[in-house]
Amino acid sequence: MISLASIAQSFLSGLAEGVDYSLYCLGLAFVFGIMRIINLAHGEFLVLGGYVAYWLLVIWGVNPILAMPVAAATAGGTAFLSYRIFLQRIRTTSDLNTLILTFGLSVFLANLFIECWTADIRNIGVDWLEHPVALYGIYMSVGEIFTLVISLVAVFSLHFFLTRSKTGLAIRVTAIDRDAAGLAGINVNRVDLMAFSIGGVLAGLSGPLLGMVSHISPGAGLAVTIKAFILTVLAGVGSLLGLVVAGMILGVGEALTVTFTNASYRELFGFTLFLMILLIRPRGLFGKGL
Amino acid sequence: MGIVLAIPFMLSFDPYYISIFIPAIILGAVSIAWNLLAGICGQVSFGHAAFFGIGAYASAILVMKADWSPYFAILAAGLCGALSSLIIGLPAFRLRGAYFALLILGFAEVMKLLAMNLTWLTEGSQGIFNIPSLPPIQLGGLNLEFFISRTTNYYVASFLMFVIYLAVYFLRWSNTGLAMAAVHGNEDTAAGIGVPVVRTKAIALAVSALCTSMMGAFYAHYIRFLSPDSAFDAYWSVMPIVGSLFGGMTTIIGPMAGALVITSVDEFLFKRLFETGHKMFFGLLLVLVIVWAPSGLLGNRIRKTAHGAEE
Repeated sequence: MISLASIAQSFLSGLAEGVDYSLYCLGLAFVFGIMRIINLAHGEFLVLGGYVAYWLLVIWGVNPILAMPVAAATAGGTAFLSYRIFLQRIRTTSDLNTLILTFGLSVFLANLFIECWTADIRNIGVDWLEHPVALYGIYMSVGEIFTLVISLVAVFSLHFFLTRSKTGLAIRVTAIDRDAAGLAGINVNRVDLMAFSIGGVLAGLSGPLLGMVSHISPGAGLAVTIKAFILTVLAGVGSLLGLVVAGMILGVGEALTVTFTNASYRELFGFTLFLMILLIRPRGLFGKGL
Repeated sequence: MGIVLAIPFMLSFDPYYISIFIPAIILGAVSIAWNLLAGICGQVSFGHAAFFGIGAYASAILVMKADWSPYFAILAAGLCGALSSLIIGLPAFRLRGAYFALLILGFAEVMKLLAMNLTWLTEGSQGIFNIPSLPPIQLGGLNLEFFISRTTNYYVASFLMFVIYLAVYFLRWSNTGLAMAAVHGNEDTAAGIGVPVVRTKAIALAVSALCTSMMGAFYAHYIRFLSPDSAFDAYWSVMPIVGSLFGGMTTIIGPMAGALVITSVDEFLFKRLFETGHKMFFGLLLVLVIVWAPSGLLGNRIRKTAHGAEE
C-alpha cells in the first residue's frame, strides 16, 4: 500500500525536479523560439558543462558552484564556434539541414566525451549538498533547494532580459521577422550568433546542476535533448515562463509514475505525454500557435 | 551492384573480412530504406534503430517462443515494424516541421527501454541467446547453408538489399513516388494539386520501416544474439543518415554506396586510430558533408550530367 505521505513526498520532489527540468531545457527552448533551429546538440553542450565542473572539482577541488561560470563559458564558447564555423553557412537553407548538422555535432561531441573521458557515469558529489532539510516531515537536500533557486533565477532573468532590455527587443524582433529586422538596422547575423551562444551558455550552466542532483555520462545528452524538446512543445514554442509549469507537470508525472508503477517506466511517461500533446493541443499549453 | 557481388572474390572468401561486410550490406539496405523516407519524401528520421530493433526482436520471439519458421517470421517482423511506424507517423505527420524527427528520436529510446523492461518477452538486458539461424535451402544442386557459411549469409543479405533497391526504385517512379517527391518539394503546393500529403508520408514511412525491420530480423538470425543495446543501438539510426548524406540523398543507389564506403573506412582506418570514440568521425562527417557538399558523393555527378543534358 502506498501511503499518503509517500505520495506527497514524491509529488514535491517531482515538483522540484520539474523546475530543474525547465532550466535544462531553457537553452533549447530559447534557440528554438528565436531562431527556429532545433539544436540537437543541446544535451551534449549541457553534458560538456557538467564535465567541466566535474574535472575542476576532481583535479583542483573547485566548488561546483564556482565552476558554473566556467562551465557556462566553455559550453557557450563551443556553441559560438559551432555557429560561426558551421551553422552560419547553412542558416538560410532548409530546416532539415540545420537539424542534421546539429545531430552530427551531437554524435561528434558524445563520442569525443567517450574517447577523452571514458563511458563511466560521473556524479559531482559534494557533502554539504547532500545535507537533508526537513519541511513538515518532507525531506529535501540542500542541493535540491539550491538547484531549484538557480533554475528559477535563470528562467526569470532570461525572461526579463528578453522583455526589458534593448538587446532583448532586437532578438525578439528578429524572431518575428528577419527581413524587417534587418531593414530596421538590426544586425541579424549577430543576433543569431548571440542567441545560439546564449543557448550554449544556458546549457553549460545547467550541466553542473545535472551532475549534482543526478549524474552525467557521455550518452546522457540525448535524453536531455529529448526531454527538452518535449517540454518546449508542452509549454508552447516561445513561452519561457510556461516552461516552468511544463517542467513541473513532467517532473510530477514522472515521480508519480515511479511511485505507482516501476522506475523503469519513468521515461515512458514523457513520451506518452508528448504523443498526447501532439494529438490534442499541438501548439502547447501557452503557445500562440505556429 | 557488381562491386557488391565481387567483394567476396576480392577478399578471397576470408571469413573474417566477409563477416565485416555482412553488417555493411545490412546497413546499405537500411540506408536505402531510410533514404526513401528522407531523400525522396523529405522526412528525416533520427530513430530508425527503433524499427531495426523491433524487427530483430519480433522475428527472434516468433521463432523461439511460437515456433515459426524464420522465413515467415522475417516477413511478419517487417509487418510489425510497419505497424509500429504508423503509431508515431500518423500523429506527427499531421503537423509541420520537425515534430516527426524529434518524435521518432524519442520513440527509439522508449523502444529500447521497453526491450529492457518487458523481461517476460525479451529476457531484458540479459539478451536472447541461441537464436536459430535460417534453415538451409536446397536450390537445385546448390545447397544454401546459413549456420556456418559466411558467404551464404553475405549473398542472401545482398539479395535482400537488391530486392529493397528494386522495391524503392519502382515505388520512386510510381504515382505514389511522384507524390512523395511533390511533398518533399513543397507540401502546400502538393496538397493544392490534390496529393494526399499525410497518406503519402505515411506510406513512405511504413515501407521504409518494413524494409528496415526485415533487415533487422535477418540480422537477428545471422548474429544469433540480441540485447537491447545491440538491437536498438544508435548505430542503426546514425549510420543510414551518414551513408545517405555521404552517398547522395537525391539518388537511390547513393545511400548504399555511401554506407559501404563509410563502413569500410571506419573498419580499416577510424577504428585503428581511435578505438573507443571512433564514432565521432561519423558526426564530423555529417557536419562536413551537410555544410560543404550537401549533394553527396554520387548526387553531384548525377546533377552535373542532368545539367549537361539540358544545355
